[in-house]
Amino acid sequence: MIVAEQKPLEEIKELVGEAQKVLVVGCGTCVTVCFAGGDREAQILASSLRMSSKLDDHPQDVTDLTVQRQCEWEYLDPIGEDIQKSDIVVSLGCGIGVQAIAERFPETWVVPGLNTTFLGLPTEQGVWSERCAACGDCLLGLTGGICPIARCSKSLLNGPCGGSEEGHCEIDPDTDCAWQLIYDRLDSLGKLEMLMKLQPPKNWSTSRDGGPRKIIREDLQLAEEETTN
Amino acid sequence: MTENQTPSTEYQIVAYCCEHCAYAAADLAGSLRMQYPPEVKVVEVPCTGKLDPLMVLHALEDGADGIMAAG
Repeated sequence: MIVAEQKPLEEIKELVGEAQKVLVVGCGTCVTVCFAGGDREAQILASSLRMSSKLDDHPQDVTDLTVQRQCEWEYLDPIGEDIQKSDIVVSLGCGIGVQAIAERFPETWVVPGLNTTFLGLPTEQGVWSERCAACGDCLLGLTGGICPIARCSKSLLNGPCGGSEEGHCEIDPDTDCAWQLIYDRLDSLGKLEMLMKLQPPKNWSTSRDGGPRKIIREDLQLAEEETTN
Repeated sequence: MTENQTPSTEYQIVAYCCEHCAYAAADLAGSLRMQYPPEVKVVEVPCTGKLDPLMVLHALEDGADGIMAAG
């Protein structure tokens, strides 16, 4: 899932500024399950903004709505009227949600209420950890299902660096050394010989280094006459 | 009603009370004719663990001056 954290209230207030009619839009997918921007968080933020603006002697009309997914226009269209009637929208979606609203409603000023942080999973209650860097060329098949790109601080491809200490990364004793994890897992599966194969330098053009990415599936695209109908 | 029970607009307290302990205690206090200020509004909740921040925020927004969680 996409993992995010809510921005501090003071920062959100600064982004909202003097706007009179404020709409907080939550998202019912990733940020709901990481307790950052779902329906409950949207209601709490809206209530906090209402009270805070009242205390500042500048009461704002703050309402909230939550859609199933902010990152698809089909889910945003039903609340289009509410969005367009607002002076400002505070999106509690990830960065994609914010941009989806901005793109779909060009006349609307939209600001983020979250800091989108990483792609990860909950490893225990209340703890989320990064697992994927979306590098565009997955090599988990070579590393026993443990990603050295996302989980090694240096994204090394051929074993640990000298900073691996008793299974932990030198940057932080609470961070596991990804290469230690990979070694242990391949060892337990009897596949240590896989580590004998040297990995060449990775082609980073499939990652962010290649610029903004796009996938086009012609088999799923609508024909021109279908899009005009 | 005694003088100290006269409703006051000075403050309003919402008391969220667990039905298994604090609410039962308030009930018992009532049976024993014990008094508490009328500004305290008791709200029964299944458990104070169920006390959502939203309930607190909504009470404050609606004019409560303070919240008591009793459980």
